[in-house]
Order: sequence, then structure tokens, then C-alpha cells
Amino acid sequence: MIRKSLSIMILVLCIGLMITGCPKKTVITEEPSAKKEDASRLEAERAREEKSREEKSKDDQAAKEFEKSLVAKKYPGIEGEVLESKLLKDIYFDFDNYDIRPQDVGIVKENTTLLMKYPNVKIQIEGHCDERGTVEYNLALGERRANSAKKYLLSLGISADRISTISYGKERPFDPGQNEEAWAKNRRAHFVILSK
Amino acid sequence: MMLKRFLPFVLLLFFISVPSAEARVYLDINAPTFVQIPIVLSKWKSVNKTPPTLTAKVYEILANDLTLSGFFKVMDYHHLLPSLQGKEGIPGTIFLQDWMPVGGEILLAGEASLEAESTTLKLTFHLFDLVEQKHLVGKEYESHLQNLRFMVHRMADEVVLQVTGEKGVHNTKIAYAGLQGGGKEIFFADFDGANIKQLTQNQSINLSPAWSPDGKKIAFTSYLKRNPDLYLVDTDGKNLHRFSSYPGLNVSPSWSPDGKQITLMMGMEGKSDIYLIDANGNNPKKLTKGHGNEASPRWSPDGQSVTFVSDRSGTPQIYIMARDGSNVRRLTYEGNYNTNPSWSPKGDRIAFCGRVGGRFNTFTIGVDGSGLRRLTSNSGDNESPCWSPDGRYIAFSSTRTGVSKIYVMNANGFNQRALTTSKGGESSPAWSPRFD
Repeated sequence: MIRKSLSIMILVLCIGLMITGCPKKTVITEEPSAKKEDASRLEAERAREEKSREEKSKDDQAAKEFEKSLVAKKYPGIEGEVLESKLLKDIYFDFDNYDIRPQDVGIVKENTTLLMKYPNVKIQIEGHCDERGTVEYNLALGERRANSAKKYLLSLGISADRISTISYGKERPFDPGQNEEAWAKNRRAHFVILSK
Repeated sequence: MMLKRFLPFVLLLFFISVPSAEARVYLDINAPTFVQIPIVLSKWKSVNKTPPTLTAKVYEILANDLTLSGFFKVMDYHHLLPSLQGKEGIPGTIFLQDWMPVGGEILLAGEASLEAESTTLKLTFHLFDLVEQKHLVGKEYESHLQNLRFMVHRMADEVVLQVTGEKGVHNTKIAYAGLQGGGKEIFFADFDGANIKQLTQNQSINLSPAWSPDGKKIAFTSYLKRNPDLYLVDTDGKNLHRFSSYPGLNVSPSWSPDGKQITLMMGMEGKSDIYLIDANGNNPKKLTKGHGNEASPRWSPDGQSVTFVSDRSGTPQIYIMARDGSNVRRLTYEGNYNTNPSWSPKGDRIAFCGRVGGRFNTFTIGVDGSGLRRLTSNSGDNESPCWSPDGRYIAFSSTRTGVSKIYVMNANGFNQRALTTSKGGESSPAWSPRFD
């Protein structure tokens, strides 16, 4: 009678061992791959964190660069101060023309990217002409050039309330020279940031 | 052969046979060319306590006015025979024959009178026809000493009236934009270039002045508030205020003859169009349609039409439309850059600036598109013509000396002269109405 209960006990024990034993086995066999997954997950996380830290520091750097690049500009006789930045580049136009040139599309896109990054920035686009041609017709041409650039920015997703335009006609040449080189520099759309 | 012999005789006959009523027309000023009338100006007499220097000044301004009018070949007494140099004041008719050898057709004689302790100047002049040896007209002017120039200009106007049948414009003024410091300011000067007055002093870019029809105000564009807005100022510089500041262009104003409306260039819709606004800046109404760039509107003298620039055909050309924007028709078909139209107060011709061989020149053309006349050549860039109120002169800017200055000429292109003695930087002239 005792032997029977003992055998049963041993059996139960064995089964118990088997049961408890199996998981252990499972754990043992699974441990290396889980560790690998964890490790790679951790690595990936670390890498992402690293990247976002890098990006953030790049952004911070860019913001600092952008901020550093901002130069206050006061035009004599014209109210208010604006900010100029080398990172907001001018685009140029062909003679008597106000279409965005293919070679300037990249510049407009770069300007757009910058504006997307700083959604609080409001800009004014100035339309300029070279000194040839008469005063008033050139004011009309400058108006077109400024609005041409504005339309392109709108098509790339910048909201209209962030952009104002102004035509200076031939009244504010960038280069006072009287040659082709100077004239080409003066046929431009110039971007300025309106101080808040 | 026969004709040659007869010609001088025929001319003489004309002068003798025309009845000597008032305002006999000696000159056809509408002709493409005309011969200037030789007018002798004898020495003026200083009466009472008039300082001779004052009388000399009156003489100088008068002689200059008559020369500037373009109708006269002035024979100054300084260059006459010694026996005539000393003859001053107003001669009796019997003494007119003394002046015959000089070759003049008209004699102008006068005297200035200033009483002791007085500031009231009296100027008297008489005109004589030396060919017929008769008195034409005599007039007297009296005013405060400070109005000396005004009085002399009045006299010159009268002389011009006698000879051409139409009063002169010597008391009118010409406004313009002038470079100063780094900006452009609005100025105006007398017809003889004297009395330059500066109307703006804001160091900004100030453009396109336009006189109100009553001559009391000038409208102009200024970038003062970082937008080309329209401002109004009294001619004494007072009451400067902004009255049209729609986003975009508010430039190139032109008053309707009744002074109630202004036509101008506006860029509200992203390009320049011609608009109409009330004289107080309200109720903008777009006149031009289509995809072109529209510029430089100017009213017709009868207030029914507006001439303007449009590049709707591909290049800037001169157009005319009714005051409501209807009936648009093109005026210029020669050249590929025609701008700055200005409608003659006589109603029949439009002056404009056209590019020829890379240079800008002043032209006039009949309102019906006929009779194109070129008025400048080989003299730099000649732009923005505008007419005198009598339609007999045109003011324009020219770079013939290397810098931009305002010039005045007879409407047929003769007698082109610089308005002022400034060093340059002048542009966009606007001729005042008559003030008297």
C-alpha cells in the first residue's frame, strides 16, 4: 500500500519536474535569440535617439545659423525694419520677363523649405527691374515679378497670409552699373523677412 | 521766277492789309515750323524812386520770358545801335520810325515805378507795330514788390496773346521728381526755371506728381509706409496725407478735368491695372481687363476718355479707352516700346515716349492715329512728355547731357531748353494748370 502511494508520489514529482523542467528548457533554448532581438531593439532605439538628437542638434544648429544669418535692414525713408538672410535667396528674371526661370526653381524650393521650417516667419517679396525702360511701366513689371514668385510659393504650400509683395520698379537697383552684368543682377525678386 | 519776286511783296501786303484789331494773329503756332518774330525791347525807364537795378531785373525776366516762349527773336537794347541804347521809356508814335533800321517788327517799351517808402510796384508796358508804325496795346500792373516775377510773367503772357492770339503760360509751374540724398523728392519750378520749391522732405522714394485741376494740390506716390501709396499735399506743403493705400501699386495718378476722380495704376489683383477712384481715394473701380500689364493712365481734356499703356499685344503700346473702360483701341503701331502717353489740352494729339534703336524719344500722334511726329533725336533718352495747359509746349526728361533733367520745348519740337540749372536727377514732369 505504501509503495503504491510512493510510486504515485514519485510519478507526480516526475511529472511535476517534467512540467517545470520543460519551460526551463524552453527558456534555455530561447534565451540567445531573445537577447539578440532585445539587443537589436535597444540598438535601434539608441540609434533613433542618437539620430533625433543629431537632428535636433542639426536643427538647433540650423536655427542658430538661420538666426545668425538674419541681418536687420532699414531702408532710408521707408518705415519699419526688415530682416534679410543669405539663406533666403534672390531669384532672377530674363529681360522684360516675369516667369520663374527653370534654373531658379531649385532656389524657390529651398526658400520654401526654410519657410516650412519656420512657420511663424512672414516675408515680403520685392519685385525689381533693371534701369532700362520707363519708370511707370517698370513698376508694373516689378509688380508681376514679385507676384510671380509669390504664386510659386503658394503652389508649394506656403499660405498666402505669410507673403506680401511690393514692386520697386527700377527705383532700388542692387547694382548701379550700366552694363549687362549689372542689369542682370537688378532683374530680381528679393525676399525679406518682416519683423514681427 | 515771277513767284520769287512777288513773295516778299505778298508777305508785306499780308501785314498791311490785315485790319489792326486787337489780338491780330501774326503767327500760326500750330504749323510744323514757324519764323520767330523779331521784337525790340527798348530800355525800361525807372520812374520815381525805382532803383535802376530793380528795373533791370524786370527787363531781364521779361526778355527771358519772351525768348523762352519760342515765338520771338528778342532784340535786347544792349545790342542795339548806340543811339538807340539810351532811348528809354515809352515813345510817342511819331518816334517809332527811329526804330525802323533795327529790323524788328514789334517794339516793346516800358517803365517801372516805385514810390518812396512804398512796397507797391507799378509796371507799365506798351506794344507797337513797327511795320505799320502804330500803337498796339498798353497795360499797367500794380502789386506788392514781392509779386514782381508774377507781374512780369503776366506782361509776357499779354505780349504772347497780342502776337499769337492766345495768352502765354509764363505763370504756370512744372512739378517733377528730383534725386536728393538717397531718395527722390517732389519739387516744382516756375516756367522760367526760377523759384524751385521742395514739396516733400521725407528721404523716401516719391514719384509721379500730378496737379489737381484747380492747381491747389499735388497727388504723388510715396514708399513712406513700405508700399507705393498715394499722397496728397497742398502746394504750400501743408496738409500732407495718404489717401490711397490699397495693397500693391497706387501709382501714376491723373485727375479728371472736373477734379472728382483720379485714374491710376493699382496692383491689388497681382498685376498692374488701370483703376478709377474718387478724389478722396474711395470706390476703386477696375477699368482694364485681360492679362496684360497696364500703366500710365492720363485723362483726355474733355473728361470722356483715358489714354494708357498696355502690353496686351506683347509689347507696351499706347491705347485709348472710354472713361468706363469700354471702347479700347490701340493708338501706336510703330516700334516695340511706346509708353508715357499725355493728352494735349487741345484734344487733338497725344505725346508719348517711344524707343527707337535702344534710345527713348518723344513723339506726338493724332488722336485718330495719324500724323506721327518725332520731336527728339540723338539726345540721349527723352521720356515722360507732358503738355502745357495751352497745348503749345511739352515738358519732358532728357539725359542728353549725361544726367536726367527736365526740358521744355515748343510742341513742334523747336526750342528745346533745360528747365532749371540743377545738376540733374530730375524726372517725371507734370505741368500745372493756369493759376489766373
